[in-house]
Amino acid sequence: MAIHERSLVEPERILRKERLVVEGIDVSGDWNLIILPRVINDYDLDFAKEIINSPDGKTINQCYQCSYCTASCPVHNYWDERYNPRHFIYLARLGMIDELQKRADVMWRCVSCHKCTHRCPKGVLVEEVLKVILRTMAKKGLIEEYPSKKFDKFFTEQVLEYGRIEDGELLFGWIEKQGYKVVKDPILKKPIPFIGETPEWLKELTMKPIKSMNIGFLMLNAKHMLFHPRTKNWNRFKQVLRKVMEEEGALAH
Amino acid sequence: MAKKVLVAGGGPAGLGAARVLGRLGVPTLLVEKEDKLGGRPVLEGYHTLIPRKLKPSQVLGPYIKEVEDNPNVEVKLKTELEACEGEPGNFKVKLSNGETHEVAAVVVATGFQHFDARRKGELGYGLYPDVITNLELEQMFSREGKLYRPSNGQLPKRVAFVFCVGSRDRQLGVTNVHCCRYGCALSGLQGSEIREHYPDVDVFCYYMDVRTYGTWEYPFYWAPQEKYGVRYVRGRIAEITYSPADGRLRVKHEDTIVQRPAEVPMDLVVLVLGMEPSEGTKKVAKILGLAQDPDSQFLIPSEESGSNIISNRPGVFIAGACKGPIDIESSLSEGEAAAAEAASFIGAKVSV
Ligand SMILES: Cc1cc2nc3c(=O)[nH]c(=O)nc-3n(C[C@H](O)[C@H](O)[C@H](O)COP(=O)(O)OP(=O)(O)OC[C@H]3O[C@@H](n4cnc5c(N)ncnc54)[C@H](O)[C@@H]3O)c2cc1C
Ligand code: SF4
Ligand code: SF4
Ligand code: SF4
Repeated sequence: MAIHERSLVEPERILRKERLVVEGIDVSGDWNLIILPRVINDYDLDFAKEIINSPDGKTINQCYQCSYCTASCPVHNYWDERYNPRHFIYLARLGMIDELQKRADVMWRCVSCHKCTHRCPKGVLVEEVLKVILRTMAKKGLIEEYPSKKFDKFFTEQVLEYGRIEDGELLFGWIEKQGYKVVKDPILKKPIPFIGETPEWLKELTMKPIKSMNIGFLMLNAKHMLFHPRTKNWNRFKQVLRKVMEEEGALAH
Repeated sequence: MAKKVLVAGGGPAGLGAARVLGRLGVPTLLVEKEDKLGGRPVLEGYHTLIPRKLKPSQVLGPYIKEVEDNPNVEVKLKTELEACEGEPGNFKVKLSNGETHEVAAVVVATGFQHFDARRKGELGYGLYPDVITNLELEQMFSREGKLYRPSNGQLPKRVAFVFCVGSRDRQLGVTNVHCCRYGCALSGLQGSEIREHYPDVDVFCYYMDVRTYGTWEYPFYWAPQEKYGVRYVRGRIAEITYSPADGRLRVKHEDTIVQRPAEVPMDLVVLVLGMEPSEGTKKVAKILGLAQDPDSQFLIPSEESGSNIISNRPGVFIAGACKGPIDIESSLSEGEAAAAEAASFIGAKVSV
């Protein structure tokens, strides 16, 4: 369709061509602007099947769109109406990828409270299914890696390295990854808390519990930060675990 | 008082009535317009019946046999009711074969007819060979035992069910505003059967509501989705077109959940037909002076009786799909109930 009033149409649906030939007739000039229709031309069933056939995505078929989940979801209720687990399920099940992508900026916001899963009258494992949708989209390059996923990766690396996490190192390591300057001691190369750049919110957040901790516990934490505790015989186990996880694709992205 | 009961119509409702009357020892005259008993399910060759997934012969066969074998029941095929005179308890009926009989009561079980899908021109039935009715799909299964596209004989990759064709539709006039009651459930069953036998065929149900009421919810809505992967898409199909480029159909609708128009390719489209009162029902209503719904023309029971099978005319009982959309089991039991009412009306002395 040709276009007369640009401001009425979303920019992504306007197509401009230098030369435009329609059914053999050159209509360039005034007619080189086209509005792409809003029509859904097809479903991407391969995408849908990948989700339906994955072990943790199967229950997606049980959804009958009652929206009990969305009504219960804190992210939908308090944050962003575009975060809607029920709707994500509908779109994924029919493979409406462009619609999912329109919501890519909010899709990762699940706080994993599992209210949706615990309440769904059809027994859909909603939270899991949403993760499968995200995973499948990420695998196909349909969504950018989302921030919480970056933290998950960092977390997983820590566990893989030591067999357990150490709070201080996890926290400051993550801060460093976010681009803040962290000052480290010259010998063990461990971060020195509160010397480098620390976001204000984090200072506030950590000072409160630190003030109320007893001294013995603080010492223990400091020791752990300096000498990261490891799980016994972890080195042997970690090789096997890393290999399995790589094979299963769990480390791929 | 004459002691005979006339049953008009040999479908599930009429069979239910004739079987009970025969068992009670009441002389019964069963007239059926077509050349065999069984009604729509038998005449049209339904494949598998909701809700028990049995064949028509399994459900109705025993009824037909008993009615045919019972000496109390006289079956007249290719026969219709033509006229009726007299008073309740003493009717004189004239049949199309020229006979007249004295009967004390009448059970009307003249049933329904399928909606003619040609009346919804935008759906392309009769124009595109791959647009078929759910009745034709039943017959494809029961008579040919395989699923195919009529245009080329090949297995479709995708099948769409279009709910509510000829139902819930004021465009057709006031006659077709009711819900067909069986359509959603039958589609669930047909869709499941397709997925069971042809797991690579994708099946889509286009719905406004899914009305698989009561105990039909699990087997004909949840199971098709959960066990067989039938997909439910919300939106009423407003137009069906054909694309010569790929030889496939397009189902046009608004996906009301996504709130976007859609024209999705399909290989076979199945129209879920509504139910209308049969010509026989309308005719018998006139002959017997029975009350009809002013819109749909289905028969309506007497309001003050509180019963679903007692008509406005004493001595005349109404059962089954002549009163509106209904399933086979309920038709059978309404026929049975009507028989009991008729027997008590004529004061039959029954031996138990
Ligand atoms: C496509 C389709 C599939 C269906 N599938 C199912 C299913 O799987 N399970 C289910 O429970 N229900 C199903 N139904 C509903 C089912 O068909 C009806 O419930 C049932 O047929 C009603 O029985 P009936 O005896 O009232 O009417 P009918 O089956 O219509 O029988 C009426 C009989 O009366 C005869 N007749 C009509 N007029 C006269 C006259 N004037 N004189 C003498 N005889 C006359 C007719 O020839 C016919 O034999 C389906 C309906 C449709 C449209
Ligand atoms: S609560 Fe369950 S059935 Fe209802 S919309 Fe959410 S996932 Fe679907
Ligand atoms: S687990 Fe995620 S989607 Fe489910 S209710 Fe909580 S925040 Fe919402
Ligand atoms: S039973 Fe289903 S298909 Fe039939 S009219 Fe009702 S809603 Fe429509």
